[in-house]
Amino acid sequence: MRVKSGVLCALSGALFVALCPGEELLVSHSAKGRRDGRLTVALRAEPKTLNPLIAMDLPSRDVIGRMHADLISIHRQTQLTQPALAKSWTVSPDGRRYTLHLRRGLRFSDGHAFDADDVVFTLEAFLDEKTHSPQRDLLIVDGHPLTARKLDAYTVLIELPAPYAAAERIFDGLPMLPRHILEKPFREGKLAEVWRLNTPADGIAGLGPFRLKQYQPGERLVLERNPYYWQEDGSRQRLPYFDELTFLFVGSEDAQVTRFAAGETDILNRVSPRMFPQLAAGQASRGDIVSDAGPSLEYNFLVFNLSPAVKPTWFQQTAFRKAVSMAVDRDSIVRLVYGGRGAPMWGNVSAGNRQWSNSNIPIPVRSLSQARDLLASAGFTWDSGKTLRDRTGKPVEFSIIVASSNTERVQMATIVQYDLKQLGMKVQVASLEFRSLVDRVLNTRQFDAAIMGLGGGDADPNSEMNVWLSSGGMHVWNPGQKQPSTPWEGEIDRLMRAQMSAIRIKERKQQWDRVQQLIAENVPMVFLASPHVVVAARKWVGGFAPAAMADYTLWNVEELFHRDN
Amino acid sequence: MRAGGDSVLIRYLARRALHAVLLLFGVSALSFALVDLAPGDYFTDARLNPRISSETVAGLRGEYGLDRPLPVRYLRWLRSAMAGDLGVSLAYNLPASALLAPRAGNTLLLASSALALAWLAGVPLGWWAATRKWPGRILSFAASAALTIPELLMAVMASIVAVRTGWFPAGGHLALPALVLAAGSMPVVIRHTRAAVLEVVDSPFLVAARAHGISEGRLVFRYVLPAAANPLISLAGLSLGTLLSASLLVEVILGWPGLGPLLLEAVYARDVPVIVGSIVISAVFLMLGSLVADVALYACDPRIRVEA
Amino acid sequence: MTRLWLVALTLAAIHLAVALAGFISPYDPAEQHRDYPFEPPMAVHFFDSGGNFHLRPFVFSAGRMYPLQVLVNGKLFQVEEPGHVFLLGTDAFGRDQFSRILHGGRVSLGAGLLATLLTLLAGLILGSVAGFYGGWRDTVLMRLAEVFLALPWLYLLLGVRAFLPLSLDPVRTFLLTIAVIGVVGWARPARLFRGIVLSAKEREYVYAARGFGASSLHIFSWHILPDLRSAALTQATLLIPQYILAEVTLSFLGLGVGEPAPSWGGMLAPLREAGMLTSHWWLAMPAFALLPVVMCYYAAISTSPSDR
Repeated sequence: MRVKSGVLCALSGALFVALCPGEELLVSHSAKGRRDGRLTVALRAEPKTLNPLIAMDLPSRDVIGRMHADLISIHRQTQLTQPALAKSWTVSPDGRRYTLHLRRGLRFSDGHAFDADDVVFTLEAFLDEKTHSPQRDLLIVDGHPLTARKLDAYTVLIELPAPYAAAERIFDGLPMLPRHILEKPFREGKLAEVWRLNTPADGIAGLGPFRLKQYQPGERLVLERNPYYWQEDGSRQRLPYFDELTFLFVGSEDAQVTRFAAGETDILNRVSPRMFPQLAAGQASRGDIVSDAGPSLEYNFLVFNLSPAVKPTWFQQTAFRKAVSMAVDRDSIVRLVYGGRGAPMWGNVSAGNRQWSNSNIPIPVRSLSQARDLLASAGFTWDSGKTLRDRTGKPVEFSIIVASSNTERVQMATIVQYDLKQLGMKVQVASLEFRSLVDRVLNTRQFDAAIMGLGGGDADPNSEMNVWLSSGGMHVWNPGQKQPSTPWEGEIDRLMRAQMSAIRIKERKQQWDRVQQLIAENVPMVFLASPHVVVAARKWVGGFAPAAMADYTLWNVEELFHRDN
Repeated sequence: MRAGGDSVLIRYLARRALHAVLLLFGVSALSFALVDLAPGDYFTDARLNPRISSETVAGLRGEYGLDRPLPVRYLRWLRSAMAGDLGVSLAYNLPASALLAPRAGNTLLLASSALALAWLAGVPLGWWAATRKWPGRILSFAASAALTIPELLMAVMASIVAVRTGWFPAGGHLALPALVLAAGSMPVVIRHTRAAVLEVVDSPFLVAARAHGISEGRLVFRYVLPAAANPLISLAGLSLGTLLSASLLVEVILGWPGLGPLLLEAVYARDVPVIVGSIVISAVFLMLGSLVADVALYACDPRIRVEA
Repeated sequence: MTRLWLVALTLAAIHLAVALAGFISPYDPAEQHRDYPFEPPMAVHFFDSGGNFHLRPFVFSAGRMYPLQVLVNGKLFQVEEPGHVFLLGTDAFGRDQFSRILHGGRVSLGAGLLATLLTLLAGLILGSVAGFYGGWRDTVLMRLAEVFLALPWLYLLLGVRAFLPLSLDPVRTFLLTIAVIGVVGWARPARLFRGIVLSAKEREYVYAARGFGASSLHIFSWHILPDLRSAALTQATLLIPQYILAEVTLSFLGLGVGEPAPSWGGMLAPLREAGMLTSHWWLAMPAFALLPVVMCYYAAISTSPSDR
């Protein structure tokens, strides 16, 4: 798709001095467009900051992602790494030393030159303890930070404290920052306070396709073309094509759809599959491009609280959890919740994760009678009122908590509740505000079962160490264990650690497949479904290439253009 | 006589100001406590990101003083609030006042446009309803029917109409939310105007005036409206309050950049300085509304002066 | 007077229908017919396609004719399996809207009544204490009332609801919702009742009674309480529709009774979704149930002798 232009430039350097004035641009081979027009996109909420070091919320990251660039990026459609600001890299045989070769002659959006010093500075800034960057933990391997050393103006050596598989993936989404602007606040320990929403446009510089033009509180944020952007198309035209990119803050997913239907925005950057019929109507009447990019990386699941302190102990019984999984009508979830645009799940990796999903996970047929047999074999009985009772005669009653803001998960809870009622279980659904839910699940552990979703980030298993290690803070069914409390959790720990430092991809795949199998066999979580990525655009949007990974439609924003202008 | 009246007014205003300060104190303390009751805080969200360790989250929490007990945090906030600083938003990393000011202005603009619209249309309609028998009954029936529709539903319907017809922008524009809010408060205005006018129309002095051959228009402006004004003025003060609280949700649905979306998001995010700041500002608006109504009443009706 | 009767009769009929929900509705309100999501309302026919009249009305379910069976299995009406009768259509899970509206009315109307009772009780006690004893009690209570009036409750509730216990069964969430609505509204009636107590206290015969050495309790229950009664009644007719709408708004925002228990607000909630109202208009049916109830109460206010 993209070719390293560095080689080309170096070879033909003598001939094309005028056209290639020391700038090693990346040549994009997507459809060729014209430089003109503007693109308007609605964000669900207002971005909170323009500071890449501290941004945590999605809208901020959506905007910041357009203003900055990374050394190596993950191609959103192939899910593989590709050169970006680094035109190439080499890895030492032990997998601990990465030598990155930067593109020469690039400039930040304020015209200042970019070189190895900026890379070293950026890593220092993200690792700075006073800044508390949420991305800091990503740069720490085995308890020690990675180090960066400048070899020359365009070569950087990155050393990892321990072998780490697919380490080049951590550079995706790690924006290269301008040392000439941020060094002073860095020395003063004030990096967390820079680049707020009210920072004037000329105080911010990045290497992304767009740069800040104007911010209107509560309303919109306008970006304009970065004239120094480091990509061009096949006909030597510098990207991006659009003059301006406007983000409107609309408050909700429904408002996003409404504003798109009213013609006020040009791209719908992923909405719930439920909206598909409505978008299809726009396709029929206005010729909108509506696209189903297939299953996302998101996986929704029902998790039981397996903390040893929890009573009664039904959840601890594998047969009980299996019976629940057997009784859940995943097809109905896909049909009723996602309008058919979703994928039922029995394992922890979505089919949307092309490289890593284990296709050998068994797909059992939903069967209430088998579920009843399982329960009966585990000593459960039914009384005359068809209420399920455990060995001691206690009726099986528990609650499922779910985030009230997520309509889809509340609907899943309603379906699961009805399914389990068929087994004689009395299940209450309590919809809680999101933060309270997270607090109950991860901190206070005051819950029986919860319906949640994960998997918005990277496709690589390393991004979820915290979820699958028994000591992990996000090991949702029983987090932060000192010793793995079951043998299979111990085995998962061992496999996860092994795959993290394994260099050969085949070996990693085998280990991660085994982890998926262990999880499916022991059902600590009942996996439900993964929604498809549904996106839309006006019919004139050219270069539209939606992907199943975040940022769905905006990942190639520099290649989008106005077709009939 | 004149000077005496002024000093009464000043004393009255001073007492109102004192009450206002006490009220704001109570409102801020109560909202601080209520927000604190809910489990979790701003940084709980970060816990759900598999790439962020719990140590980092704990560090952030300490950095912003969220690990301190509630009274300490409240007193710290109160001290800086007295100096005019409402604290720093956790989410935006900006002074809360810088976030609140433009949005409060937008909310006030929306509420006052809706108020003006409701009254400019509602009073004539109420008048008309009072003077015609059957159209009046139908109109007041329609008005009570309109009262039964929750504002939220009305906002949803309005946005559908906007998308379907293309008459209004579906979001971010003043027209739609102002119309919805006006439609929500107009029935009350119509009902009260009608009731007030009906009461005055049958009063002996008006019958006498009519018998003297005073023209209908002069009758209305010279006698009827002033006599009906009293309950209407106090209603206006009250309805500013209802409008403000209704406007918060309507703003959210119709995408008006006022306090509503900011506050709603802050509540979900547990961004305490923004929540408390918005609540304090809406309390100030409420008090100003009732103050304006009271002063207007004071100006119109001498009897109030005695009470004050 | 006839109008008041009409109003009372309508209200009684609606409340009776809701009370008999279990008998009138053909299905359990939680029963999911997963093969029939978003089924539009079914018409009841008397004439078949050939134009022949049938004494027993019938519906078309999946293209087949199913005559209504009246008074079987303890239900008012139903049809034979595998047919279905969805008079008002179904929701996203294929649950019968007609059954859900009837059962949901229990929650919505019940919440309105009980919350009003709670508010009046709280307002009566606090208002009487403030008015009767005066002094610091009066000052504290009335300032507190102002604080309560100045808070944007809806927003705080969003946060506070999360703190409340996991209120597992629908009955407890229902009671909780009532408590929340009822307690929040005490300030306005309390101020009204305080005013009435104040003026009643100043009456000559109360002074006289006090002079004869009557106890406070005696004075209150014999000389002051009767004054409060009619005011409380008027307040009730004013508050009940308000609170029914409050429950609708809370449930609309997902803060009401949890799934699968129906309530009118909860049933209306899916309408917030973009395009839902235009594609599945029958989901708005609960609003049409709401309309006569709230209008009857409003009509009752304007008919009752002591207006406002």
